[in-house]
Amino acid sequence: MAEFVVGEDGIKRYLVSITVNGIKYTKVVKANSLLVNFLREDLNLTGTKRACEQGDCGACTVLLDGKPVNSCMVLTVSVDGREVTTVEGLASNDKLDILQEKFIEHSAPQCGFCAPGILMSAKALLMKNPNPTEYEVREAIAGNLCRCTGYVHYVEAILDAAAASQERKDGKNG
Amino acid sequence: MAKEFSYLNMKREYSYIGKSLKRTDILDKVTGRGKFAADLKFSNMLYGKLIRSTEAHARIIKIDTSEAEKLPGVRAIITAKDVPSIKYGLSPARYDENIFCIDKVRYYGDKIGAICAVDEETLYKALKLIKVEYEVLPAVFTPAEAAKPDAPQIFEEYPGNINTEIHLEFGDVEKAKQEAYYIRTDRLQGQRTLHGFIEPHCSIAYWEGKRVTIHSAHQSAHYLQHHIARIFDMKEGDVRVVLPYIGGGFGGKVDISGLDIAAVALSKITGQPVKMFYDLEEVWYNGRARHGMDMKYTTGVTKEGKILFVENETILDGGAYTGLGVASAYYAGALLTVLYDFDNYRFDAYRYVTNLPPCGAQRGHGQPHPRYAFESHLDHIAEDLGMDPIEIRLINARKANTVTPNGYEVKSYYLKEANEMARDASGWKDKKGKLPVGRGIGVGNGGFVTGAGYCMYRTDLPHSVAMIKIYDDGTHAIVYTNAVDIGQGSDTVLTQMAAQAMGYPYEDITICTRDTDLSTLDFGAYASRQTLMAGWAVKRAGEDVKRKILAQAAEMLKVKEDGGYRFGKLTPEELDCEEGIVFVKQEPAVNITFAEVARAYFVKHGVLIGRGYYHPGKLGGTHKGAAVGTSPAYSSATQVAEVEVDMETGLTKVVGTWDVHDSGFVVNPQLLHGQVHGAFSMGIGETIWEKVVFDEKGKVLNGNFAEYRLPTALDMPYVESLVLDTFEPNGPWGVKEVGEGATTPTLGCVANAVYDAIGVRISELPLTPEKIWRALKEKEAKEKGGK
Amino acid sequence: MYLPDFEYFTPDSVEEACQLLSKYGPKAMAIAGGTDIVVKMKKEVLAPEILVSIGHLPELKKIEYVPGKGVVIGAGVTHNEVQNSKILQEKYLSVCEAAHQMANNQVRNLGTIGGNISNAVPSADMPPILIALDTTVKIVGSKKERTLPLEDVFKGPNQTVLEHDELITEFVIPDGSFTGSTYLKFGLRASGALAVVGVAASVQMDGGVIKDARIVLGAVSPVPLRAKEAENLLKGKQASEELFEEAGVIASGECRPISDIRASAEYRRDMVRVFTRRALLKAVNEGHV
Repeated sequence: MAEFVVGEDGIKRYLVSITVNGIKYTKVVKANSLLVNFLREDLNLTGTKRACEQGDCGACTVLLDGKPVNSCMVLTVSVDGREVTTVEGLASNDKLDILQEKFIEHSAPQCGFCAPGILMSAKALLMKNPNPTEYEVREAIAGNLCRCTGYVHYVEAILDAAAASQERKDGKNG
Repeated sequence: MAKEFSYLNMKREYSYIGKSLKRTDILDKVTGRGKFAADLKFSNMLYGKLIRSTEAHARIIKIDTSEAEKLPGVRAIITAKDVPSIKYGLSPARYDENIFCIDKVRYYGDKIGAICAVDEETLYKALKLIKVEYEVLPAVFTPAEAAKPDAPQIFEEYPGNINTEIHLEFGDVEKAKQEAYYIRTDRLQGQRTLHGFIEPHCSIAYWEGKRVTIHSAHQSAHYLQHHIARIFDMKEGDVRVVLPYIGGGFGGKVDISGLDIAAVALSKITGQPVKMFYDLEEVWYNGRARHGMDMKYTTGVTKEGKILFVENETILDGGAYTGLGVASAYYAGALLTVLYDFDNYRFDAYRYVTNLPPCGAQRGHGQPHPRYAFESHLDHIAEDLGMDPIEIRLINARKANTVTPNGYEVKSYYLKEANEMARDASGWKDKKGKLPVGRGIGVGNGGFVTGAGYCMYRTDLPHSVAMIKIYDDGTHAIVYTNAVDIGQGSDTVLTQMAAQAMGYPYEDITICTRDTDLSTLDFGAYASRQTLMAGWAVKRAGEDVKRKILAQAAEMLKVKEDGGYRFGKLTPEELDCEEGIVFVKQEPAVNITFAEVARAYFVKHGVLIGRGYYHPGKLGGTHKGAAVGTSPAYSSATQVAEVEVDMETGLTKVVGTWDVHDSGFVVNPQLLHGQVHGAFSMGIGETIWEKVVFDEKGKVLNGNFAEYRLPTALDMPYVESLVLDTFEPNGPWGVKEVGEGATTPTLGCVANAVYDAIGVRISELPLTPEKIWRALKEKEAKEKGGK
Repeated sequence: MYLPDFEYFTPDSVEEACQLLSKYGPKAMAIAGGTDIVVKMKKEVLAPEILVSIGHLPELKKIEYVPGKGVVIGAGVTHNEVQNSKILQEKYLSVCEAAHQMANNQVRNLGTIGGNISNAVPSADMPPILIALDTTVKIVGSKKERTLPLEDVFKGPNQTVLEHDELITEFVIPDGSFTGSTYLKFGLRASGALAVVGVAASVQMDGGVIKDARIVLGAVSPVPLRAKEAENLLKGKQASEELFEEAGVIASGECRPISDIRASAEYRRDMVRVFTRRALLKAVNEGHV
């Protein structure tokens, strides 16, 4: 059971320890804290977007223990002891993820509001399935609504990223 | 007769335009680093929301805020009595909206007041404690109800609830009727839709002395600045508007929203920054999207299918206020004459106010529904005459260098060629009439203005102004323009244009936009205007820089002449500059870097600045409403869609799409294709799924993305986007538009494909499975009855 | 949107969870994936004062095959875990496919099977296929345990026979004699759409003859509905498309759909006919798909 303190208002605050993008944060949150707000407000990781707040649009998609979820539907207390990856965690030491590189090359995002969510869904897909078909790509991002792009460049970019990382792997092995 | 001048196939090679260069904002957008309005935080910031009506039409008896005020953390609650009583809007002839409702509410969701608190949680709790007492009035929810003689009057100033009435005639329709070989009438209905951007509106304001700064998810820094100044009786110079990244607009972030106004008012009262924001459902109540339209077209043609006249009667459901609605009503009839060449045209329109959220502009302002209706109508005429749908379009397509009966001058225009290219790319000849039942192919035409010919309010201001500043040592350039990149990529395109105009490396240019203090006037992102209008301003600013650079370089370069050297004797005309190198045209080996020249200029004259501006001049005829639809240039487009309809369930799947665009010179092909893909996606959504639905009280029933269904990646087919090589003499380097025009043919082409697949016309959008199922049942019953 | 305040408990076992639910009474609710409850709390449809987390409990996370018993699925298994289960893919791909059709990928990673059943939403995707396979549920409370046919769990929209201190802990798809099963969902969009109609069918074939069959309809009555008259028609008959059409007609007469924002009752009825026929065809011809 998570440790808690009771505030002057009689409301419990829970001690949580959450690893976000490899960094362990120990914070005190109310039970009604949603992961999307925790990331955006408490950790200032505003790359994760808040839009529909009901799990319909995917703008707030993050990886929870490696799986894409809508952070608007996740209670922060329920993430205690778990790992979260946000769009800010994709690049390492200024080296972009292959997906980010390909999103740039294909000019995939337009307004860019849905882009972090799509990146996270695509990242989860490629971790699980490094060589997806077009249908599998479309399916993986079907929970991420985009009004600007018709998804065409996104799908091309993700397929291209998969191909490029396969090539890199083959190159290394060869 | 003079030889017809063609603007086809004139393409030339450039260093920085006509190329898919990397978006200027792309790194921000793939790393999550880019800030949208909701991502901004300011010290001591408060959080605010609007207080909304829960009745569609009612007098406000009492607003009790006492319980909410007692809640710790609530900082201010304001209603009509706390703000100016001035009326505002976007169409100056119809400023009819108060900041907060004064006497009565006119739709469920109307603005009654605003509240702010120290955090979101307190805000939501307080909002629930506010009690409003109403005297409920009868409400009207459709134009038909609004038009009844005993209908409740929503506004005193709109008797009969008619907000805008249009009666225009060009040529002689009655005479043409006598000459027509065949006349047909069709009536079709387009539904109320929503822009569907993913980012809900958000606006943050704070005051510093007499000046206010607003950070808003908005499509035009200028209009927001202008209207805030007008509403609060301030000087425009005392209102600073800064626009962060905008998460899509499509016309839904053009109006001055209640959030903007309330943020300014609340931050004044509290002395703290106030962030006002919508939850997604409130975006539906904010409205300002496509009008529901009831459209009746009567068209007469010759035996060969040449259009002799068109009569168009359109009724628009305006919702509660005007916003941009006057323009929407005119647009509904204005641009048909651009697509098709005929002399006799009558257009009658009535825009009714109803007790629903206000309608306004959505991508292709006023066009997609009329295009859907007329393109469907035209298919029926072709069918009745035994003609191929594309054939009748080829016969009637407008030609370049012509003037429409309602006074638009059309320079480059290649709709005929677009039809031919779409026909060939889609395999039309092998498919039309040859596909099995349940599979169909359809065509639709469209196009749009490339920027509106006139400002939304009366002014002599130029429409776009730009400035380019070169760094002291010449190693970097900043382009200043308040063109608004809402995702369409104007920042990138304008940077490419600046690079080309100056002959300066693209990667050494930064664009400074969307800030009325730091950058220069532009009317913003609407009417598909940025590439042409801001493009002219940037091109001219770049050329101004280049002129100064060449003059300076002429003093610095030396060329061999008869075995000797001459210094500073070159004229600027002998020089050119490309990709950062200034060189002698006759002897390119003699050159100097732009940077060196720029530095020398700086030492001698101070800062090196280029300036440019653009005004389209006087356009259009003199009839009432003649200004709407005027533009320096008109795009055209043909789309073809192939669909598969499940004949048992009525479910439509779009399996193939082709778009051919006559967009003038294309600055960035990748961005153009992206616009076409997105436009097709929106159009498919609007044809098959999307419609805003209300209950009997005027409450939105599908104010979310589960029941207002935008297409997902699994619903979208691949979109084949093709470009005609055309050149527009009124555009910088020959550019026209693509962003809005690309949505205008889609509804018609998908609807025609469905008709081709199932053999029955459904006269009302969207073409949901159930409507198709019902239509097929009725058809079956009729055929049985007929036997 | 925001969530009102509540207390949150993280018990270490099902037993402890039930005790907490018992102790706090109706003001407490169990939460697993949260995809339903969190949204309902935001919309103020639900306002529990206490949430008892069960999604993390390892004992609810298993999918295993127990010879003689059948496939056992823990209630805390997510839709994607069902979809990706090797055991289920091998034995009842139809169950994986049903799980796969729920909402979208992100929601499937959170939402659990137990939650999908306990919420008793008439359009839910899992109940029809599980009922068609004669699934039973184990229900554990603070004082007693019981096992029921899944079919008997539902009482009405958002209503089940569960007492407030009870939890569904596992589902058992018994080793049956069904030779084929399928779930067909008809939604208005390819992803992220609720079922307008959902039809599950299972059949036990003996050569070309149908020995036994189940037809379970979703989204067309307050609870998942067995189309028993249609099932009876099929028994002992030679499989044919004409027979399945007839079964579809009967099933469409058995259902009790409502008209709502997504579809009219009339349309839903006819879709029951269409998808009953299609589901039977698929179950007969393609096995558990």
